[in-house]
Amino acid sequence: MNAADVNRREIVRYLGGKWEAADEQMLALIEDVLAEMFSRVTPKHVFHTWPLSLQEVREDADNAQSAGVHKEEKPLVDMTCMQVRSGDLAKNLSGCTEVLLFAATLGEGADFLVRRYEKTNMSRAAVCQAAGAAMIEAYCDEINDAWRESYAAKGKRLRPRFSCGYGDFPLSYQKQFADVLQMEKRLGIRLTEGLLMVPTKSVTAVIGIGEA
Amino acid sequence: MQKIMDIVRERRVIIDGGMGSLLQSCGLRAGELPEIWNLTHRDVMLKIHTDYLDAGCDIVTANTFGANPFKYPASAADGEEYTLESVVTAALDISREAVQKKGHGFVAMDIGPTGRLLQPMGDLEFETCVDAYKQVIALAKDRADLILIETMSDMYELKAAVLAAKEASDLPVLATVAFDASGKLLTGGTPESVVALLEGLKVDALGLNCGLGPADMAPFAKRLLDCASVPVIVQPNAGLPRVEAGVTRYDLGAGEYAEQMKEILSMGAAFVGGCCGTTPEHIRALKEIADKTAGDYPRVREAAGSRRSATLVSGFADAVEIGDDPVIIGERINPTGKKRFQQALREGDMEYILGVGLSEQEQGAQILDVNVGLPEIDETDMMVRVVKELQGVTELPLQIDTSDPKALSAAMRIYNGKPLINSVNGKKEVMEAVFPLVKKYGGVVVCLTLDENGIPETAAGRFDIAARIIAEAARYGIQKKDLIVDTLCMTISSEEKGAVTTLKAMERVRKELGVRTVLGVSNISFGLPARDIVNGIFFALALERGLSAGIINPGSADMMRAFHAFRALKALDAHCATYIETYQSYQAPAAAGGGVQGPAPRKDKTAPEEGEAQGDASALSHAIKKGLKDQAQAAAADALKTNDALSVINDEMMPALDDVGRGFEQGSLFLPQLIMSAEAARAAFDVIRAQMDAAGGGTKKGKVVIATVRGDIHDIGKNIVKVLLENYNFDVIDLGKDVAPETVAETVLRENARLVGLSALMTTTVPAMEETIILLRKKAPDVKVMVGGAVMTKEYAKQIGADHYAKDAMGAVSYAEHILTGSDVPA
Repeated sequence: MNAADVNRREIVRYLGGKWEAADEQMLALIEDVLAEMFSRVTPKHVFHTWPLSLQEVREDADNAQSAGVHKEEKPLVDMTCMQVRSGDLAKNLSGCTEVLLFAATLGEGADFLVRRYEKTNMSRAAVCQAAGAAMIEAYCDEINDAWRESYAAKGKRLRPRFSCGYGDFPLSYQKQFADVLQMEKRLGIRLTEGLLMVPTKSVTAVIGIGEA
Repeated sequence: MQKIMDIVRERRVIIDGGMGSLLQSCGLRAGELPEIWNLTHRDVMLKIHTDYLDAGCDIVTANTFGANPFKYPASAADGEEYTLESVVTAALDISREAVQKKGHGFVAMDIGPTGRLLQPMGDLEFETCVDAYKQVIALAKDRADLILIETMSDMYELKAAVLAAKEASDLPVLATVAFDASGKLLTGGTPESVVALLEGLKVDALGLNCGLGPADMAPFAKRLLDCASVPVIVQPNAGLPRVEAGVTRYDLGAGEYAEQMKEILSMGAAFVGGCCGTTPEHIRALKEIADKTAGDYPRVREAAGSRRSATLVSGFADAVEIGDDPVIIGERINPTGKKRFQQALREGDMEYILGVGLSEQEQGAQILDVNVGLPEIDETDMMVRVVKELQGVTELPLQIDTSDPKALSAAMRIYNGKPLINSVNGKKEVMEAVFPLVKKYGGVVVCLTLDENGIPETAAGRFDIAARIIAEAARYGIQKKDLIVDTLCMTISSEEKGAVTTLKAMERVRKELGVRTVLGVSNISFGLPARDIVNGIFFALALERGLSAGIINPGSADMMRAFHAFRALKALDAHCATYIETYQSYQAPAAAGGGVQGPAPRKDKTAPEEGEAQGDASALSHAIKKGLKDQAQAAAADALKTNDALSVINDEMMPALDDVGRGFEQGSLFLPQLIMSAEAARAAFDVIRAQMDAAGGGTKKGKVVIATVRGDIHDIGKNIVKVLLENYNFDVIDLGKDVAPETVAETVLRENARLVGLSALMTTTVPAMEETIILLRKKAPDVKVMVGGAVMTKEYAKQIGADHYAKDAMGAVSYAEHILTGSDVPA
């Protein structure tokens, strides 16, 4: 990931402003912060693929009588390494035969800068925070794009990434991610009691793999 | 039986290989806790150990890596099958059985990371972590022969584990860390800083394991071996992992692995073994090669350690060497003679104190002296607090500067690294108080050449005291490399030969005693005019005669010039790069008449723009809108000359702040600008308040208690709200992050606050927010509660019983205005 890959519009949006309103000074501040962030971050990721088996969800699932899955009961998504009951995840993975699970992080350096500037220069801390959020997105996009290409060559198509905490995919699955991807050992990502990832600029997600 | 640390003096010691990877091939599922197998698969565990012993290893590592109180309960009360004690004692008993069965070998209790991250990165408190490790290590008594702390990736957690091992057992302690491919730990630690920390804590051996295969690990093993005085441990993985059909495999077979280990053996590693992916076959092959080259061992071990006598201090990241290349120690974190700093200490104003330290870092300090002694404050509490805060925001090593042994001890304990200590001297009582602490926690100590009889007038007298201190330190096992001698600067204004004596003593100490030196440089000019001139020249003289570190004000241009020029002249600054970077836009001060020289013009980022009117009606408003602190302050002072305080606030400041707030809401202004404007307003408020206070009037608008709820450690949003509220002249009581409902309720009652702001970032912590609101309704029914945070919505806020949802920081301010000053209801 290069500084050029980071979406400036996203940073501006995180900072609560309109892109058109960002003046030279604001853009210069963002560039300066990005340069400093890049000198501190250590982006890393791990991934792993597993076979997927998906309980069928019918289009008319609202009609409890005709649905394969009972209305109250959410479809089971069996990703081999973990089993989840989640309608939203099932929808996202519909038609897939495999899943790719990944975890990515900018490392502790990003949090360090936010922490440092929170004490001494709050406005810069806010920009670091926004830049960090855009950077981890850019990093995930970059590695996801590379997978998309390599799977396309094999005639496969990747679905958009889906994280636990989205929709009805419970955040509690963060623990399984941590285990099956050995996130602590390989990336230094650890979970707090409240299941937050530390370093905080980290992402875990499932990507469905299906026929193109 | 011969002890393991005696054996390693004579020959290489072989440790076993992978455990987790073997268990997986025996059917351990992902996510299953491996230590439970000590109870459910006793035979499998016993066979793994005996296979390793058959392969020729000397140490078997018990299956206790992940056993800690965060993963296993202390008692089996609630129907839990496995307790910490049962899995750990079973593991050690199985290992012991294997050793007895085979008739040779030692049992290591294995200690890994807790799985949690320490503050300030994570939510685990340092002493809680030490206690957790102690609970496990206490179980090693009578069952294990040594403690092996391994795969550590955070220096602070590593320190907690080693301290626990030292405090809860008498067994030898071996510790290894896992570097990434760039040779860094998670938090930036390096081989040099790992050696500094671990040797300071007096481990018996140190090294590295996991993460990398032997070839990739070799350069980092070399760096450890260069610096370490104790035996070095190397336990690599069997190469790199790859995934085949859902199973993790490693790419080095036993033969290739042992072949790659040859280089590491030849560097002088004393303990060798394997980690992930290695099997008894790998260890057998390693043992064969180690046996074949056994004759080399004494020679290669002797040849290693080229930097063994280097004086190293460290923070949480890299180490700093106090050596031939001189080091700047910033002296500004010190209340002596500084009113503003004293005020900050009395008010617990951390922002100011940290700001001083960080600006020293920007000016070129490589180590920060920390002195917080003030008669009316509790020095121990304050020292611990400041050290904790500083090591959260700067990677620079700290110099703990106190004469109070209690404060020193407490700060050394929680310090994340190997500190400098200021100071010890030739007085018996002082050495008896300080050296035991250095022995326990590690550190490099500044030794002042004075004793019960005061400061000797002669260089010989000071030299003698230095020699005595070094001899006394040796009795505690403290080596010369951990002492730096200060031969004391006496001002030349009263002591004509002050500088001559100091330098002479320093030169002799450096040459004849072979220790590094340090001076509090600026004392030399006390009482003289234009002190910087003398300081700069004296600093250069001292550096030339062997000064290793100067305790100075890095903001002093003359001393920094001497420093940078000296390094360039002595070929210590490659291609003069630092010199050029520092002075490329240097402008020689214009010659002034009469030999008097004003200060060089400073580039002031916040200087008023060209052609701007000072003191006109809109100057204050303009400064606030543009976020110019200094200018806002000046404009406020001007405005007060012609208007009363209230009208300055109401007619100039408030409309300006409202404009900024509106701009932010419309998206034409950004969060950083909003914050800068608010900070400029605060600066102006300070000026106005000073006048109002003097006139006996003027108070804040009311109290707001704010907190990030229990379980949530993201608090930048709450912190931004805090800055804004303060700058809009509210009295903010910030309880921090991860705050218990009871604490919020108690504070509201105690402070009689009418408004509470709660923040939560994650869906998982919203229940804690609701819990807090329920408690507040019960204990303080009149208080209003506003909530905010990434997961909050208006509907959600209503559902959990909040009075108001603040969609952003400005929203929180508007609501506070409404509740506490009766302004219009915000949208």
